[in-house]
Amino acid sequence: MSTAAEPFERLQCQWCQSLNEKSALACRSCGAPLDVRNLVSESGWREAPRIRDMTEIHFSSSTCQVEGEIVPVAEINLSPSDAIFFEHHVMLWKDQTVPLTLMALTGGFKRAFAGMPFLISVASGPGRIAFSRDATGELVVLPLHPGMELDVREHAFLLCSHQIQYSFIRIKGLANILFGGQGMYMDRFVTAGAPGLLILHGYGNVFERVLQPGETIMLEPGAFLYKDSTVTMDVEFQKLGTGFFGGTTMSLARMTGPGRVGIQSMYVHHKTE
Amino acid sequence: MFCEKCGSRLVENARFCGGCGAMVAAYAPAPPPIQPPAPVPAYVPPSVARPLPSPAAPPPAAIVRAVRCSWCGSPLDASVTSCPGCGGSVAEMALATHSGWLQLPGRKDMAKLQFGQSTCQIEGIYVPVADFKLAPGDSVYFAHHALLWKDSALAITTMPLKGAWKRLFAGMPLIMTQAAGPGHIAFSRDAPGELIAVPIHPGQSVDVREHLFLTATGNVVYDWFQTGVWFSTKNGDETETHYPVGAFMDRFSGTQQPGLLLLHAAGNVFVRTLAPGEAMLVKPTALIFKDPAVQMHLHFEHPQTGFTSWGRWSNRYLWLRVVGPGRVAVQSAFEHLHGEASYMQGHSYATETRW
Repeated sequence: MSTAAEPFERLQCQWCQSLNEKSALACRSCGAPLDVRNLVSESGWREAPRIRDMTEIHFSSSTCQVEGEIVPVAEINLSPSDAIFFEHHVMLWKDQTVPLTLMALTGGFKRAFAGMPFLISVASGPGRIAFSRDATGELVVLPLHPGMELDVREHAFLLCSHQIQYSFIRIKGLANILFGGQGMYMDRFVTAGAPGLLILHGYGNVFERVLQPGETIMLEPGAFLYKDSTVTMDVEFQKLGTGFFGGTTMSLARMTGPGRVGIQSMYVHHKTE
Repeated sequence: MFCEKCGSRLVENARFCGGCGAMVAAYAPAPPPIQPPAPVPAYVPPSVARPLPSPAAPPPAAIVRAVRCSWCGSPLDASVTSCPGCGGSVAEMALATHSGWLQLPGRKDMAKLQFGQSTCQIEGIYVPVADFKLAPGDSVYFAHHALLWKDSALAITTMPLKGAWKRLFAGMPLIMTQAAGPGHIAFSRDAPGELIAVPIHPGQSVDVREHLFLTATGNVVYDWFQTGVWFSTKNGDETETHYPVGAFMDRFSGTQQPGLLLLHAAGNVFVRTLAPGEAMLVKPTALIFKDPAVQMHLHFEHPQTGFTSWGRWSNRYLWLRVVGPGRVAVQSAFEHLHGEASYMQGHSYATETRW
């Protein structure tokens, strides 16, 4: 074995494509275990990596430790040059000295009207701050490389590093608003020059599938968690007749590739249904 | 290279896995292809399950010992690590308590079940997904809110239910939807818990408490009946009737071919077979399913106490008394039973113990 060849012997993480040292047991960038095989169903859904308790993830010059398994906590150790943003209700605890500020957002009024928090909080280093959601689920760690655009179900993002640009898009079509169940807005995360880290929380278990160009899949709208911005989402209705009272209507989201689609197995119920 | 059994990374040229001790596939005798489970002539109670040879030392291919799954009675090939009927992990089978409750065998993620020419893969740990690959001619039916995703080409239709009005009043799903192969379709519930696969053998029936049903194969006959288990409480002028195991119960019956029923349960799942006349007291909301031959009624228990002026309700416990012969399954996480501690005005047939 020649030492010159050594730097090229890297393990590529199959979840986030980051390169790791050959001896690594978990991916440095996303925490995915590197010593277990991928869990892929025959129908092509890949289970989000089950991050081992206490795994440490590196982003920029800060770290994040994932603690617990049933309702996991993301504990961030921010370096002085880093900041993260989040919705304030996911905070679990923080050092007293970590400063909090608010991110200026346009269209805040419309979002408040739609029931979304229009205030996004920002925590800056140095110091520690920890986050968790209110239900059984999984943390989905998505290191975003330059040029990536990701759309995320509203309220599903736990935290995001400051290198990533945050905006939200309105889902077009009245049908979406009233019946689609996906709500009026999706969060959109765009990476510009520098890579960043995005952590989502999915209820239950999280699965991802890569759709080929033109390939489609029908989702229960409440199961939708995230997608590449190249994937289009349309709501379709199916009439379920019972013979009297005209039956009921079921809505399904048609996702069309190319790109990734992420789903959660414990779907959200909607009051409009 | 990774171990096919536990997924650990293997040392180059290793004969055995460092993680679980299993022989590396390249060295192990080729396992025979998984056959569709042969029709089982009669249901065999779980007690006949025999321990398997240690998985660390797979027997030579020549010796194929058929044993039965401790949970569902499906025949097991010596080469399989999970039961093709219910997905239970073979290594964890026959885990019974000293009191005789058999625990639902743990399930490996991505365990695959087979029925007819179709398969069902169970994915995930916290809120598992049942991912069906339906062969042409095979179908499943389900309450439409359990649908998670499906192939775009797979059509969903409704199936009529008798007595839909009564079900509407009881708050049960009014519409049962079905999907026919070929294609993929997947289901999950909106709460953490476990998926229970209950293979239904020809001629066998099982009674399931309401709202636990996830999906069943098209060859399983669905019916429902009134439980007749109730009590009414009075608060001022208001009288309220409570149904501790639901006003209705679902009954699923096998036809000529074996079928598959998937249920959702909270917490851990235990099953036991009651002998004829053998009785057991269980928490009403913990009941998952029972054989139709198992009778059930209310049972009140009054612990002995030195004082009696504590009101009518304070020293009375409410149970569901189940009487064999047959199977009874319970879940360890159960809902609160409303009205249990209120003043009781009337109730269905009940037995009583005063200590």
